[in-house]
Amino acid sequence: MNFLKKILAKSGKLFEEGKPLSFAYPLWEATDTILFSTDSQNKSGPHIRDNMDIKRTMFFVVIALIPCYLFGAYNIGYLYSAAMGVSSSVMSNFILGMTYVLPILIVTFIAGAICEITFAVIRKHEINEGFLVSCALIPLTMPPDIPLWQLFIGTSFGIIIGKEIFGGVGTNVFNPALTARAFMYFAFPTKISGEKVWAVGPDGYTGATALSIPANPSEYDTATNLFNQATQFDFSTLNLFWGLIPGSIGETNKLLILLGGIFLIYCGIASWRIMMASVLGLVFTAGLFNLLAEYSTNAMLTITPLQHILIGSFLFGTVFMASEPVTSTHTNKGRWIYGFMIGVLTVIIRSVNPAYPEGVMLAILIMNMFAPLIDYYIVKSNINMRMSRNA
Amino acid sequence: MLKIKVKKGHNINIAGVASREIFAPQKNNTVSLSPENFRYIKPKLLVKENDIVKLGDPIFFDKLSPDVKWPAIASGKISKIVYGERRSIKEIIFSIDTNIENEQSNSEKKKLGNKDDVVNYLLEKNMWPFITQRPFNKVANPSDKPKCIIVSLANTAPLSVDYNFTLASNKDSLVSALLNLKKLTEGKLFVAVNPGEFDYLSDLDFIDIIQVEGPHPSGNIGVILNHVNPINKKDVVWTVQGHHLPILGKLFSDGIFDPSITINLSGPAVSNPSYFKSRIGASLESYCKGNLSTDQVRIISGDVLTGKESTMNEYLGFYHSSISIIEESFDRSFVGWLHPGGSSKYSVFNAYLGSNKSPYNFTTLQNGSHRAFVPIEAWEKVFPMNIYINALLRSIEANDFEEMEQLGIYECDEEDVALCSFVCPSKTDVGGVIRKGLDTIYFDK
Repeated sequence: MNFLKKILAKSGKLFEEGKPLSFAYPLWEATDTILFSTDSQNKSGPHIRDNMDIKRTMFFVVIALIPCYLFGAYNIGYLYSAAMGVSSSVMSNFILGMTYVLPILIVTFIAGAICEITFAVIRKHEINEGFLVSCALIPLTMPPDIPLWQLFIGTSFGIIIGKEIFGGVGTNVFNPALTARAFMYFAFPTKISGEKVWAVGPDGYTGATALSIPANPSEYDTATNLFNQATQFDFSTLNLFWGLIPGSIGETNKLLILLGGIFLIYCGIASWRIMMASVLGLVFTAGLFNLLAEYSTNAMLTITPLQHILIGSFLFGTVFMASEPVTSTHTNKGRWIYGFMIGVLTVIIRSVNPAYPEGVMLAILIMNMFAPLIDYYIVKSNINMRMSRNA
Repeated sequence: MLKIKVKKGHNINIAGVASREIFAPQKNNTVSLSPENFRYIKPKLLVKENDIVKLGDPIFFDKLSPDVKWPAIASGKISKIVYGERRSIKEIIFSIDTNIENEQSNSEKKKLGNKDDVVNYLLEKNMWPFITQRPFNKVANPSDKPKCIIVSLANTAPLSVDYNFTLASNKDSLVSALLNLKKLTEGKLFVAVNPGEFDYLSDLDFIDIIQVEGPHPSGNIGVILNHVNPINKKDVVWTVQGHHLPILGKLFSDGIFDPSITINLSGPAVSNPSYFKSRIGASLESYCKGNLSTDQVRIISGDVLTGKESTMNEYLGFYHSSISIIEESFDRSFVGWLHPGGSSKYSVFNAYLGSNKSPYNFTTLQNGSHRAFVPIEAWEKVFPMNIYINALLRSIEANDFEEMEQLGIYECDEEDVALCSFVCPSKTDVGGVIRKGLDTIYFDK
């Protein structure tokens, strides 16, 4: 290890200011601090510091996502075998799934790294580990059969337009992973709109996703009945929870998402307020719609709160996207409002406008946009309290 | 009695807590008074090198407020005056003359009736710099009318001196100091104590006791005021360091200036952390030499969160009462960010398995690289004031004076946000930004 340390220290001199490779300093800094923890000293401020840093913070989010990847790969294989009508072992299902997941993962990381490094070098800022999280999130929101060139363009768009043009991590307004997802949703709707089945199968294989069943019923019935009548996939509540259904790679198994969320809350990285509030918002609105359902022929209104939580990517979005610290609100009161509104908007977009069967992505992006405004009014109330004291 | 329960905050479990023993004075041949310990002053010297001075004699005054003079902190010779850039005065070093050690030119006692009497007496005795003010944490302006005075005897900073232990035998001088401090304000005199300490103070009807409970920074003046009597724009609050109370007490009751204080030497790099009888501006060398457990150390005058990095040849800061020593580490562990945990890690986050259990050997390592700020509710965990610190920092960076005032910058000081910097995963220097904001506002006036 000392040998490696010496090489790094020596090569580091080539990247110093005024040296020929100085433009690539961010790249060297990233390599250096990934391999060996930094020896930076406390110069200004306190003389001692906590052992938590951004690297570990971001790494923990990636850890929380790994189970979703593993299950996602298995699910791809499982659904493929089911479509072909063959029975196949867990391992071979998993391996088949991996042949779809790995290329997606690799392409996303290449696209993300190119954008992040280019901007770090041009803007002369450090390579922020946050891009690892964005790149780890994007594949999980994709259907397994997404064309890789679309993915490359989408990821680049997300990282550049969602993050870098605002000044990089810490100053971005929109969640980069969701920006990428939204871009692809509108640019390549045939692959990713969420109406037709998101699974790998034989040529011409098609079917309805859980969300599009009550959105386009052949005749009006309650969502529960429609789910029960569906024959192609098992949309029972229990199976919606276990996730052996078609969907984006990471969204289907709700247990693993919940475990990831609990892990992040326990570590103090993600905000439990946002997650709790968005579930409350969803339950409130879905409950309200259930009451209104009898006055309407829209079957989406009959989806129960529990079904809303379990179908689509609501939980995945809430746990991993809505709670993203930079683009959410920065005050605790604001976090409650922000989360609650995400829950409300998700149900409204899903139910009231069946053209968009999945609502959570747009709900989060809309609330990303409103987060600074919410904070503004929360902070304003603190200012008013202080001003009234002065008067 | 007011009671405050602070929930947010953190008591850092750092190794090297001083044992409850007070050792006899070390041999202190030189002491130093450094104008750099006082903010926003323009010192003008009243002495020159090799002058013989006695305790309490005026040494320099502030050109911006000529009434305020600083006292000689020892009797003896001015052995050296150290100048910095553009002939700024860095330090005035006294070599103590043991023959005249306790002699003073002015040991007259006076009966003090009202505020003016007390102010004039302190100014006459050159003892005014012991009174500091909030906001800005600077030497008070004698012509101000403070809305209240506050003294905190609850020292919650890591490895700071325990006043209940060091001031145990100073009851009379403490009472005398508080009695006269009360005359300085028409408002209240708040004294903050930990539960069950300084019981005798509750018999004094002229003070308002505040009992503080909870982790650091609950004992900080800024935090206590934020809870009981927040500082508004144009408000001034005066304060005195707890360990300076006996000095003022003796001055009021006996007319003499006794610069002795009890300090502690502590920290993970100290072999025998303990308390010492010492004096203001004492030489650090006499305490540190032979008491270090390792060679590469950082010596800090003050506590580990807000103290000043010093060398062995330097001196204890005027307002400081502790010397903290930590190891200078340049250790680089292989893929350190993957480390599972154990006793080699310390974090307020649940980010390491089995960490924080035993007193931790903190070093000077930043434990991570500086990154763009990611608001993961880290600061909020340890900042118990009714202030949106995140918004305040942004207004400071944007140089928005009005918003800084509206968001409560007058209520904050570096020490109140030191823990925010400690926990920040992006390694932001929150205190530095707050100080920058206070400086901009101060110089704009």
